[in-house]
Amino acid sequence: MTATTDRAAPTTRLWDLPVRLVHWSFALLVPLLWWTAESGKLDLHKNLGLVMLALVAFRLLWGVVGSDTARFARFLEGPAAIRNYLAGLRSSDHAPVVGHNPLGGWSVIGLLTLLALQVSLGLFAQDTDGVKSGPLNYLVTWDTAKALSEAHEVGFNLILALVALHLAAIFYYRVMRREDLISPMVTGQRRFAVPVAAPRMAPLWRAAVCAMLAGGLAVWLSTGLALPWDKPPAAPPPPADYM
Amino acid sequence: MKPSPLLILAALLVPVTSVALAASPAGIIKVRHQNFEGMGRAMKGLFDELRKPAPNFAVFKASATVLANSAPRIANHFPKGSGPESGLKTDALPAIWQKPGEFTAATNRLVGTTQALQAAVASGNVMQVSKAAGDVGGSCKNCHDTFRKPR
Repeated sequence: MTATTDRAAPTTRLWDLPVRLVHWSFALLVPLLWWTAESGKLDLHKNLGLVMLALVAFRLLWGVVGSDTARFARFLEGPAAIRNYLAGLRSSDHAPVVGHNPLGGWSVIGLLTLLALQVSLGLFAQDTDGVKSGPLNYLVTWDTAKALSEAHEVGFNLILALVALHLAAIFYYRVMRREDLISPMVTGQRRFAVPVAAPRMAPLWRAAVCAMLAGGLAVWLSTGLALPWDKPPAAPPPPADYM
Repeated sequence: MKPSPLLILAALLVPVTSVALAASPAGIIKVRHQNFEGMGRAMKGLFDELRKPAPNFAVFKASATVLANSAPRIANHFPKGSGPESGLKTDALPAIWQKPGEFTAATNRLVGTTQALQAAVASGNVMQVSKAAGDVGGSCKNCHDTFRKPR
């Protein structure tokens, strides 16, 4: 990506509002989810996890119907494109990439896959006491849930590793290539030294539809896949302060 | 009722085998881990059943029996030398041996709540079972907060 601080260069709208909101929500939620799990605030952890699930589901939908720079089909490239991009990084006259570069695109997929896996495992996870558990825990046996809970812990370490790589890449572009990747993720705008084709932005009503679908999925999962004609449980769940 | 000879034999053998297993710190840790694991399973069984519109009281009874039988064993599951100083994998904190009075109070509280759970199950009232199950969960947490390594 060739960017410039030249004030004369025209700004290009790079990241739409949904992409930026989802990105910064991830940045906020990952540490919060870690902290609530470590300190045993499992009810808060479960609720924040469901918010995370809705965000991941939204981002996956947005990767199909969203703006150009959000779409998986637009930024997922094969090994040849990655090799070319890496070779271009060493020369100074490579063409700018508007959106995720071929390597960064796979980092996005890696992080989204891990987050999707992590929230799915969380749905089945349980605390050691067998009292506080994910909304789908009741569907599996104690032993299965125990294995999934352990995988939920491993999953967090994998997420940490990819986040570290993500931050290292941002640092590399900032220091070695003098490219600021953070500001565009805040403002959505970026200046390119050479004229570039502006990415097509998806209308916000489409984001609203995706958000409703994703939110609906999270709410439905939180009920343990209850159907409207199901009879309610015989007793309310025990108060939140037990675990 | 006259107890059957087989029952007497079983009653005699249970402590013998327990002691044999529990002879080493590794054995002690294994036995107490299995005891806690069984309680966890019973808690899950209890809460899974409470989710249902028409819970089966036989499941409540089985879980409550496991809990009420396992809870009193805990007091004997932490002899000196079976903590982290043994070098073995355990989440037991030294606080168990530093504050024996508090630890006994915590295990007694669990024994009490598991007995109350059995009474609630015997009453046949789902709401009472739910409340009593929550109280057992509260006494698990009460002890874990102070005496078990945080996750």
